[in-house]
Amino acid sequence: MNRDWLKKNTFHCSAFGDLKRLVELKSKKGLTISLCLPTLNEEKTIGKELVILKSELMTRYPLLDEIVVVDSGSTDDTRSIARTFGADVYKADDILPHLEPYKGKGENLWKALYITKGDIIVYLDADIKNIHHRFVYGLIGPLLLHDHIKYVKAFYDRPIAIGKNKIRPTGGGRVTELVIRPLFSLFFPDLTQILQPLSGEYAGFRDVFERIPFPIGYGIETSMILDIYHKWGLDVIAQVDLEKRIHRNQDTKALGKMAFAILKTFFSRTVNLGLINFNTPLHDTMIQYKLVKSEIQPDLLTIEGLERPPIIELPEYRQRFNRKAS
Amino acid sequence: MEELLNRMPEFEKKIKSMMETIITNIVLLGQIPAPTFKEKARVTAFLERLAEFQVDECTTDGYRNPIGIIRGTSPNRPPIFVVAHMDTPFGYDVDHNFTIRENAIYGAGLLDNSVGVGVLASLPAIFRHLGLEFESDIVLAGVIQSIGKGNLRGIRHLLKTWSTPIRGAVCIESGELGRLNYYSDGMIRGEIKCSINRSGGRRQRFQPNAILVINEVINQILELRLPLKPRSKIIIGKIFGGLKHGQIAHEATLGFEIHSDSDEMVKSLYNDISDIVNGLGHEYEVRLELKTISNVRASRLRFNHPLVKSTIAIMRRLGLKPISEPSESELSIFLSRKIPAVTLGISYGESYQQRSSVIKIEPMFRGIAQIVGVIAAIDSGVCDE
Repeated sequence: MNRDWLKKNTFHCSAFGDLKRLVELKSKKGLTISLCLPTLNEEKTIGKELVILKSELMTRYPLLDEIVVVDSGSTDDTRSIARTFGADVYKADDILPHLEPYKGKGENLWKALYITKGDIIVYLDADIKNIHHRFVYGLIGPLLLHDHIKYVKAFYDRPIAIGKNKIRPTGGGRVTELVIRPLFSLFFPDLTQILQPLSGEYAGFRDVFERIPFPIGYGIETSMILDIYHKWGLDVIAQVDLEKRIHRNQDTKALGKMAFAILKTFFSRTVNLGLINFNTPLHDTMIQYKLVKSEIQPDLLTIEGLERPPIIELPEYRQRFNRKAS
Repeated sequence: MEELLNRMPEFEKKIKSMMETIITNIVLLGQIPAPTFKEKARVTAFLERLAEFQVDECTTDGYRNPIGIIRGTSPNRPPIFVVAHMDTPFGYDVDHNFTIRENAIYGAGLLDNSVGVGVLASLPAIFRHLGLEFESDIVLAGVIQSIGKGNLRGIRHLLKTWSTPIRGAVCIESGELGRLNYYSDGMIRGEIKCSINRSGGRRQRFQPNAILVINEVINQILELRLPLKPRSKIIIGKIFGGLKHGQIAHEATLGFEIHSDSDEMVKSLYNDISDIVNGLGHEYEVRLELKTISNVRASRLRFNHPLVKSTIAIMRRLGLKPISEPSESELSIFLSRKIPAVTLGISYGESYQQRSSVIKIEPMFRGIAQIVGVIAAIDSGVCDE
């Protein structure tokens, strides 16, 4: 196992707090940077994220060239609030409308590659309650300062909001510790050094993102790490400590569904890499149980494990960005 | 003055174009809990923000009030103070994360006084954006230990130790837009605590109940005759006590304030309450204690003071109707030191003092414009009589 990576490629966001320097570097390298926020009913947090990031990283320091919201069809005021505070807002279904539409975070991130213009793309979850611009400059910093780094992943303390107006100081990361870390330990020990592989905040060069497939749903973070590791190696990946992040707590059942999707993605990748073989195909349905009027009934959710191909395979994308097929 | 008044609509418009920066300061500072006596984290962040906005000097005084000084063009002019209290009524266990919607911001502490603190931190950028330079130094002071048991300690210390004369002051409060405070009542904030010893002493057939004793205190306070002149009132504002539904209460506490435009009347009423407390403590054989938590002296500017007149003109030019009531806050301390000062509100809000308080975004820009206008008026000499 390459233990040096943890030392060399782990940063703290405070190392990149000199925003003037980052803007100068960006300009010197002739790069543009896009921020994408995938949303689904995020009216409580989207306004705050946009106001702060626009103020600090567009108005005061022009680090970001655009902020784009890609929405999965929110039924609350997410889109109108986002428009009020100056984001370019798209419904995911309206992007590349000739393709069969899917619902999921991965779908939004993949489609964002088509509508954003930046050389660097920053993906940020839209449910961060304690948003601070360090969440963005912390991810961009290593990409601008270290030429060999192509993809940066966030990690942080994870206090979680419990109930109204109460915060529990520690917790979260259950799927990471119970699912991902054991799997990485078994198959890819190098990757265990990534402290929070499921964090929803990451940034990277378009050249990287356009060449990897995107699972539609929860598997996107896992597949991204596996694909980048497989294609370019561990050294192009970095991780950055963004300190505290407060987010919504999810119940165990919801995490079970997330774990199911992640396991499917993981196994499909390891099969493709020839690491394991299954004699029978994997099922698509997560089976949980619920109590209905004193009767235990199955609660079924089908997760097919759909993926979008590397977007560079799309002719309209190649034309838009003047790319050649890989 | 007329020239300044004519610029007010332009100020409002230009300040509105800085919406993101102003709201960002409100959020980044307001989301840091700052209960009275525990403001350190917010103080540090406030100073960092001032430094980021290139304020000439950022420091704390001996009492750890954070201060930013924007140097003026005329070193001989006394400084102008702009003050907002840093502390909020909510503790660290309360979620201070705000929500921003199209027209309003929601969250704990916004109205007391996180919006005020955020706007104070935004003033250096606002002055720059408006192209304003002042003759006087502008002292941006976030004062600690203001509310409740804080007893305005921060501002008292700041003014006590400030070595040079002060030209005038503007105190900033989140709400309510339209307020114009230029006088303070004399006030004593007190607490009456009833404690009943559970173990020692002789057993009484009918044990006294702390809640009922406090109830009797309230009854006797209500029987006090208050004069119409000097205008006086007693506010029973806070009560708590007891432990269980089925158990006699061994402890109960009453919080109250005495207000009057005469300091003597405040003292006299306080003595009356002290007599009530001593008498009932004796008769019920309970421990009944009266404690002063805070006090301020009555002080005021005249209605025709040039600062008051200019402020009214500025507010009217912005379409605001000034509403004046006494304010026992930082203002009292300025006025008691003969420093001309007013308190102004920034916007309209709802659910004051609640965790779910709301402040409207759009009126904020008018509220900030009036503050900038009054600072400019002081700089033009309206307090120099």
